[in-house]
Amino acid sequence: MITFKLNGQTVQGEEGQYIIHVAEKYGVDIPTLCNHKALEPAGMCRVCTVELFDGRRSRFVTACNYPIWEGMEVTTDSKLAVDGRKLIIEMLLARCPDVPAVQKMAKDYGITELRFKKGDDTCILCGLCTRVCEKMGAKAISLTGRGVDMKVDTPYHLFTDACIGCGACASLCPTGHITLDKINSQHTQLNTQLIPSEYDMGLKGRKPVYVPYAQAVPNTPAIDRDVCVHFKTGGCQICTEFCGVNAIDHTMEDEIVEVEVGSIILAPGFKPFDPSQFDAYGYSKHPNVITSMEMERYLSASGPTAGHLVRPSDHQEPKKVAWFQCVGSRDSNRCDNSYCSSVCCMYAIKEATIAKEHAGDDLDCAIFFMDMRTPGKEFERFYDTAKEKHGVRFVRSRVHTIDPLPNGNELSLRYVTEDGKTIVEEFDMIVLSIGLETPPELVDLANRLDIDLTPGNFAKTESFNPVATSREGIFVCGAFQGPKDIPQSVIDASAAAAAAGEMLTSARNTLTQSKEVIPETNVVGERPKIGVFVCKCGSNIAGVVDVPAVRDYAASLPYVEFVTDSMYSCSQDTQETMAQIIKQKNLNRVVVAACTPKTHEPLFQETLINAGLNKYLFEMTNIRNHDSWVHKNNPEMATEKAKDLVRMAVAKVALMEPLIETELTVNQTAMVIGGGIAGLTTAQSLANQGYETHLIEQNDNLGGQAVNLFHTAQGDNIQEKLSELITSVKKNDNVKVHLNTKLTNVDGFVGSFKSTLTSGDNSEELEHGIAVLATGAAPYTPTEYSYGKNPNILTAIELDRKLIADDPMLSKLDSALFIQCVGSREPERMYCSRVCCTHSIENALELKKRNPDMNVYIVYRDIRTYGEKEYLYREAREKGIIFIRYALDNKPVVTAKDGSITVTVTDHVLGRPMELTVDLVSLATAIVPYRDEKLANFFKVPMNEDGFFIEKHAKLGPSEFATDGTFLCGMAHYPKPIDESIAQAKAAASRAVTLLSQKTIFSSGTIAEVEPMKCAACGVCVSVCPYSAPSFSTEGRFAGKAEINPVLCKGCGLCVASCRSGAIHLKGFDTDQIFSQIFELEKAI
Amino acid sequence: MAENEPKILSFLCNWCSYGAADLAGVSRMEYPPNIRVIRIPCTGRMSPKFILAGLRQGADAVWVSG
Repeated sequence: MITFKLNGQTVQGEEGQYIIHVAEKYGVDIPTLCNHKALEPAGMCRVCTVELFDGRRSRFVTACNYPIWEGMEVTTDSKLAVDGRKLIIEMLLARCPDVPAVQKMAKDYGITELRFKKGDDTCILCGLCTRVCEKMGAKAISLTGRGVDMKVDTPYHLFTDACIGCGACASLCPTGHITLDKINSQHTQLNTQLIPSEYDMGLKGRKPVYVPYAQAVPNTPAIDRDVCVHFKTGGCQICTEFCGVNAIDHTMEDEIVEVEVGSIILAPGFKPFDPSQFDAYGYSKHPNVITSMEMERYLSASGPTAGHLVRPSDHQEPKKVAWFQCVGSRDSNRCDNSYCSSVCCMYAIKEATIAKEHAGDDLDCAIFFMDMRTPGKEFERFYDTAKEKHGVRFVRSRVHTIDPLPNGNELSLRYVTEDGKTIVEEFDMIVLSIGLETPPELVDLANRLDIDLTPGNFAKTESFNPVATSREGIFVCGAFQGPKDIPQSVIDASAAAAAAGEMLTSARNTLTQSKEVIPETNVVGERPKIGVFVCKCGSNIAGVVDVPAVRDYAASLPYVEFVTDSMYSCSQDTQETMAQIIKQKNLNRVVVAACTPKTHEPLFQETLINAGLNKYLFEMTNIRNHDSWVHKNNPEMATEKAKDLVRMAVAKVALMEPLIETELTVNQTAMVIGGGIAGLTTAQSLANQGYETHLIEQNDNLGGQAVNLFHTAQGDNIQEKLSELITSVKKNDNVKVHLNTKLTNVDGFVGSFKSTLTSGDNSEELEHGIAVLATGAAPYTPTEYSYGKNPNILTAIELDRKLIADDPMLSKLDSALFIQCVGSREPERMYCSRVCCTHSIENALELKKRNPDMNVYIVYRDIRTYGEKEYLYREAREKGIIFIRYALDNKPVVTAKDGSITVTVTDHVLGRPMELTVDLVSLATAIVPYRDEKLANFFKVPMNEDGFFIEKHAKLGPSEFATDGTFLCGMAHYPKPIDESIAQAKAAASRAVTLLSQKTIFSSGTIAEVEPMKCAACGVCVSVCPYSAPSFSTEGRFAGKAEINPVLCKGCGLCVASCRSGAIHLKGFDTDQIFSQIFELEKAI
Repeated sequence: MAENEPKILSFLCNWCSYGAADLAGVSRMEYPPNIRVIRIPCTGRMSPKFILAGLRQGADAVWVSG
């Protein structure tokens, strides 16, 4: 250790350190332009000049490369030192008057006038570039020439092979003298570019050491081996020098690990279609033609423009944006993807709506489409709102010519409208709504795994087994099963887990290990003894916040008995030390000031448990994400903020009490309501996974609506498969079927429901741990289109029944007409029934098969054969089925007179009414929910305005309710075809098993609790809780008062805020605890 | 804090805005340091009394986000 004086203060440094390093440690700022921590100092810019007194005389030395020695005296702020530095900066400014870094420094030193001859250079000859080039192992550039001719250059100013195009010189150049363009034009022919960020679709650069995206799991950086300089030259390794925990090992090799498994689930996803192969759209030529994925990034707050919508060519705000649908989908001419990608219509509407939100209502958004396909839950309403409220234009046309304007910005589009007019319109940007496809490497994978693929290269599955591939034991979910959106992918994922779980039931819980339980110290009634642990997070926090100052400040706060700081609080050794300290110092409250509790709170709570302390005697405050990372240019204020945050946390933690996590035994029995395909499948899956299941059906037969259906879209015989399913369920010893049975009462909650089943005059009680609602939906009975006036005007299901029965009347038909959207997509039923387009086309093809000469018409609004169902639509057109489109305000008219049926419909091409006399009309009637209020009340689950049950989360929780222990599937959720019903049924079973597989469950400790003495029994809490946790107590001293079920409570605090008597407390976030934080503000603000 | 800067007290929902503030840090965005965050389990927990108390403690603005 060397001791010397710095600005009069006695300081210490290590042997071999330079002045600048010791000064930095002591918070003394010495300016420099040529110093970089990763490189050897060179003393080139001379700006770090300081005054050194060696005991006899003073002299100037450069702080960056002058080693410290015992007894020296260094002054950085003496007049002599400042004047000397000022002269150097003045000379640098004279050489490079236009360089911002030098201008700023000159301004800081009060240099306003130049005494020297003004030059026009941009290089200050700091040598950072040449030193880093050497460090990279390239040595392509050096300082050449002498004296006034000195410059940074390649040998003989020639293009060099030594340059590896890494761009390190440009990234370190403090003046902007070296740029990537300059490297490309003067030094190398490698065409050096920024490394395109995959997440930002190449609209932004990224580093070779990077976290793929902010929410990545695990959220640790990776080194891109393909671009990392070390793997090219063996040089660099700067990252290893900077990593404080020595986590980087460049010698790591790929490993092949063999794992024995009982089942495989494939979830490899898709690749967005690459439109650069289409010349017509000019994607690869014109910057303002972008893909929808790029648009997603432009609209994202974390994207390249922070959510600000600009056109790429000149970064001006666009005034008009056009979306082109079906790029790389529904196209067998220019690419091989003849399927519909299912998601593009919805995302285009979403992007248009968000674009208008970001850029204002003046932005003109036009979507050019063939059929608008919004068959998902709440999608039709979203489409309608975009059109009617947000003014998004929907143009049914395919643009045939795109001409870029000469200014390089706008694009002129030429298209033909429905009535045959040619329109020329200019747009600022074109967004190509690209489809989903399976990349070739996945096709290879499928071949290696020996599984069959569909014509569209998706994993082949069957309608009645939608997540099983052709090879036993291998399951599939997500877009590799077929193009689909997030909710459907999440359903598939749970379904695949259930399918695998059914196979592996015997192995469940065979590899579990139990943890040692550490007895908890009782601290109730003790005076708070708080320990505060402040984390440096390497330099992430300590680089900005003065951690020792925060630590010392914490020591001055009330009840604080122990303070310390650590390099990485989350490292295993620090955790062990922390547990020891808690025990040694008998601490009973802990504050950790570090990163975010969202990721690290459980880790520190684990440490408390290991130290025998209740895990809720803990508070974490975020001095990294909310402080050092966002205030890096304001270290003083950041330090003050950290102190405030620590003070607030200390105030709160002092009021924390040990909390109990209530234990609850889970009844291992399941109840499934509804004996249709969905209910049957859930019951079968639960039973196969070993759980006793009761299947409740109000009718006297099983099968639900499926008993009326003929074939699935894939051509499976539904009656055959359905009877197989029913037989297998009936045979299963774990399933008890209750026919003719209604649910007349439900008590209890997750883990211990008690339901009353009534069959005729008999009632029985059933105790069960979970419930699945699979109550289905019914077909709409039409009042329109002369239904009932002629026996040959049928609903789709009636036609199916005739097909099942092979009714002889079918062979007598010469013509048939199908009308779509009967009762769907209308103001009173603003949803698409999802299955009818496919169903009608299927039946139309069936009729055509029976009599190829038959005239078959389909009168429709938009054909919505999403995914690979599109093949059926194409086949129907190929087979000569005639499609006639109608508009909602000009519906077809069906007249049934004297035994004949006439349909009048206005053809959209001719624009004139046509009269068609047909033998049969099939009405594609809507699917209508039962709107079972009673059932909804039993389980306290919500319904939407259409009468379908509302799931926990539209995207991430589609097969369960917000109320724990209740699940849903099938058409009670939304109309869906059989394969999707089965997938959701399995998904519901899978979600239920996550509960059933635990013998006991624990509530959280941070839940609400009623103080019954204060409760006025007003019932507000009961009505506001989304999780049905509060109820009126029925027995005991406080009967009639509210009580909260700790197992159902999610700790949101809604009831606490709503309680007018102040009778409810939210443990962990109680009123006094939040007030304690607010009261600590006074000193802060 | 500097006298001429508005002093802001914020209540952020643990599930959305608090996470968003975390993400702002991860993305190394910058914003003025004159803001103090109190994490709440849900904006449903928010009581008007917290807002009044914050203003009484000298906050110029109270921001509830969730």
